[in-house]
Amino acid sequence: MPVIHRRLFLGASAALLLGRGAQAEPAKGEPITMGVSGPLTGPNAQYGAQWKQGFDLALEEINNDGGIKGRPLTYVFEDTQSDPRQSVAVAQKFVADPKIVVELGDFASPASMAASPIYQRGKLVQFGFTNSHPDFTKGGDYMWSNSVSQADEQPLSAAYAVKRLGLKRIAVLHLNTDWGRTSKDVFVKAAKGMGAEIVATEGYLPDEKDFRSTIVRVRDAKPDGIMLMSYYSDAALICRQLKQAGVTLPIVAASSVFSPKFIELGGDAVEGVHTASRYFPDDPRPQVRDFVTKFKARYGKEPDAFNAYAYDTIMVMAKVMREFGTDRKSIHDGLAKVKDVPSIIFGKATFDPKTRRVDGAMNVELVVKDGKFQLNDPKAAAR
Amino acid sequence: MSSWIDYTVNGIIIGNIYALLAVGLALIFGVSRLINFAHGSVYVVGAYAGFLAVTHLGTPLPVTIAIVLVIGGLLGLVIERFGLRPLQGYAHIAPLLATIGISFVLDQLVQLFFTPDPRAVPSSLLEVRFQISGGTIGALDLVIAGIGLASAGLLYYFLRYTRLGWAVRATAQDRDAAQQMGVDVDAVNRTVFAIASGLGAVSGLLVGMYYNYIDPSMSFQATLKGVVAQVVGGVGNVPGAIVGSLLLGLVESYGIALFGTSYRNLFAFVLLVIVLVWRPNGLFASKRQTPPEPMTGTFIAPSKPVHIPAKVLAGAAVLAALVPLVFPHPYVLQTLTNSWLYALLGLSLTLIAGTVGLVSLGHAGLLAIGGYASALLAIKCGVPVGLAILSAGLIAAFLGTLMAFPAFRLRGHYLSIATLAIGEIVSLVILNWEWLTRGPIGLSGIPPLSLFGMELDTDRSIYWFTLAVLVVLAALQFRLLSSHLGRVLRAVRDDDVAARSYGIGLNRYKALAFAVGSFAAGISGGITSHLYSYINHETFNAQLSILALTIVILGGMGNVTGAIVGSVLLVGLPEVFRVAAEYRVLIYGLVLLLLVRFRPQGLLGTV
Repeated sequence: MPVIHRRLFLGASAALLLGRGAQAEPAKGEPITMGVSGPLTGPNAQYGAQWKQGFDLALEEINNDGGIKGRPLTYVFEDTQSDPRQSVAVAQKFVADPKIVVELGDFASPASMAASPIYQRGKLVQFGFTNSHPDFTKGGDYMWSNSVSQADEQPLSAAYAVKRLGLKRIAVLHLNTDWGRTSKDVFVKAAKGMGAEIVATEGYLPDEKDFRSTIVRVRDAKPDGIMLMSYYSDAALICRQLKQAGVTLPIVAASSVFSPKFIELGGDAVEGVHTASRYFPDDPRPQVRDFVTKFKARYGKEPDAFNAYAYDTIMVMAKVMREFGTDRKSIHDGLAKVKDVPSIIFGKATFDPKTRRVDGAMNVELVVKDGKFQLNDPKAAAR
Repeated sequence: MSSWIDYTVNGIIIGNIYALLAVGLALIFGVSRLINFAHGSVYVVGAYAGFLAVTHLGTPLPVTIAIVLVIGGLLGLVIERFGLRPLQGYAHIAPLLATIGISFVLDQLVQLFFTPDPRAVPSSLLEVRFQISGGTIGALDLVIAGIGLASAGLLYYFLRYTRLGWAVRATAQDRDAAQQMGVDVDAVNRTVFAIASGLGAVSGLLVGMYYNYIDPSMSFQATLKGVVAQVVGGVGNVPGAIVGSLLLGLVESYGIALFGTSYRNLFAFVLLVIVLVWRPNGLFASKRQTPPEPMTGTFIAPSKPVHIPAKVLAGAAVLAALVPLVFPHPYVLQTLTNSWLYALLGLSLTLIAGTVGLVSLGHAGLLAIGGYASALLAIKCGVPVGLAILSAGLIAAFLGTLMAFPAFRLRGHYLSIATLAIGEIVSLVILNWEWLTRGPIGLSGIPPLSLFGMELDTDRSIYWFTLAVLVVLAALQFRLLSSHLGRVLRAVRDDDVAARSYGIGLNRYKALAFAVGSFAAGISGGITSHLYSYINHETFNAQLSILALTIVILGGMGNVTGAIVGSVLLVGLPEVFRVAAEYRVLIYGLVLLLLVRFRPQGLLGTV
């Protein structure tokens, strides 16, 4: 396949450019194949494209470093448009294909969870790396996820908003999807527990572009700060319209806004927006530095949260396969046993065999300043 | 209350934006009696053309608008020439399908060229904002309003005082008469498509600048809101479209003010249904106007159906039943199982739209009712799955008929739009009725399919179960069509005035057909929910309604075999084209266009 050749070639040249000689022989031989079920066309296609970037970067690194015991690791990406009708067909395809050793995805919950019964029956691990739906891993013991659970993330956002920024009356705007709704519920509970009052909650549909009237409603509730449970594109729209409406309250946004696109789309309206993230570009952690540098060299832009999830996922898979074997059963059993996988998101990831999730995501508090995400240094904030 | 002033201003601003879309749609409808589903795609193309001009050429706003206008106009000419002109003289249903195909192709091309990432479109206007009450309006708001009003004014002048404008109006009133009077109707069509598409493209640019945001998937929502706005004003009526748009914007804004953001679209669609039921031809249809829809016949063209002997059909059913034994590949079985489930939906719609002539665009709503009914009965009341699915069919039949009943007095496109609204209302009620449906969190842990206590847990057993349900319902529908009742239903479709004068109670027969059809759709939704184990309000989305209609038109209206063949093709083709990766939706759209081009009456013809 020409694509793979080009990938290998690019990989080799990138390695040379970075002055990092290959430590091991590049992998050869029969490839080990992972199945990816996700959106490459349709309304969520942008997320599938970001996954690919994260995957390709991680695979280049792994395959230049000897692959999995000398065999290259690769993936087959089947487009489902994140539509359950297609994700179940793809699930059957992967389960029946002996080459596929593990499945990654899908993107949205309806598509992912509709396919779960098939993966469970077929005893193929479905690794949902963006599936934060609380019921996803309850589909069976073959459903695993390293997505940051909202029960984990939102109390940290609440602490940022309430304890750090001192907000007392918070208005929450959330995507009216399973993710946004779960996030909002956890956040509201945590913020109330810290003594803040929630003065408004407004759920909006994912394809909404106009928030002017929602903003009037929020303004009339007289909040002293606004919390956004949004993805970067809708968060940017909301921030712009808040500015146009003359609302200048502090804004805190969920970590999913952490993307260069947020700043590109939001312009100066997103200056001063607070968010938490699992890492930030100038993070001193070596694996983050490595990831960010290589990502920029390859794609000419800063990585975002979805790139990082995809990259981390391949790293988990590579470690599991290197240590426990490359057949379906070994991967299933290995996920329960693998310890301390170096991770952008978690620092070190270890799965809880009961929930089949990872706890303890890293947390850095960021603020948008001069068109960049910057560490919100407590000393600077005190000034 | 100053807030009410803010809500009003906001409603007008957003209404302004809808107006730009609605005017183009109204113009096209006025002349070609066609809801142009490709309009949203032209809007996307316009947005991206403007994006290129601004970011790469650095053009100032007036130049950008001119460039986009020209590109949109040219695109309109291409769509008219290659997509629609070849279909002239066929029933209106064929060009409708063609516009759906064109929109697939355009959206996909934009996505391939520009990647699916959203882009920022910098506005070259000064950020001047005027304080009004608690909020502000910006220069771009005024530009949008100005362009909306100016284009409406120019159109008014053009239609009223120019020869070509007269020709456009004459063609809109009576195409054949206009042609006999020497009007070049092709030229009129071209002009209208060019103007409307130019406007559509400019609105894409302006909206992109307004939000500083464009992405290739924004076309469907744009079409939806534009269509709603123009139908409220009365289809084909340009000033009506503007007022309808402002009204829509205001209702949405007040809806948010009163009940919260998550009720926004619910209000828009309820408004639409009320307007349609109250004034079936839109708010501004004058009494003198000839009915915008032909009285009889021409919406669905009569054609000679391909005759397939009963023995061949029985043979095909047996062959289908043998597939799991001969070729037991689970992926193939799953794809065929999906096809059978959509064939059930197709059976439902082909009866309602094809046999009785109620072209519904909200069929996903029936699937959703069936899916939720069956899942909730099984989860909350512990009803056995087989019985739950059966009950889901009955519940869908009852609720579907009840909701559609007020729409039975509507004709043609008005009925289609009313059902589209009803479908959206179902989805929004599911989203907001949280104690029952868990809202966006959805229902998980739906028990798997089982029959008489036996779990159907192999791909084969699921395949045979859905096939059996399909065969039984298809056989019943064949029986229905060849009975006296079937002939009555077709009589209602072909000439309802004649049917009524024979003493046929139109509404009763329409309701009967709707109930029978909704039953099949409810069953399909019920089985789907148990198959998926998890559903939420997005599982049965509006795109499925479009897919259902595509299946039915492709197979041939009212044609039972056609619905099954159409479903196998439309569910199967995207799977076959998998090798083409990112290009597969593009190929799918092109194949759809070719099919409409060469079989506009459907593959197997109208029954």
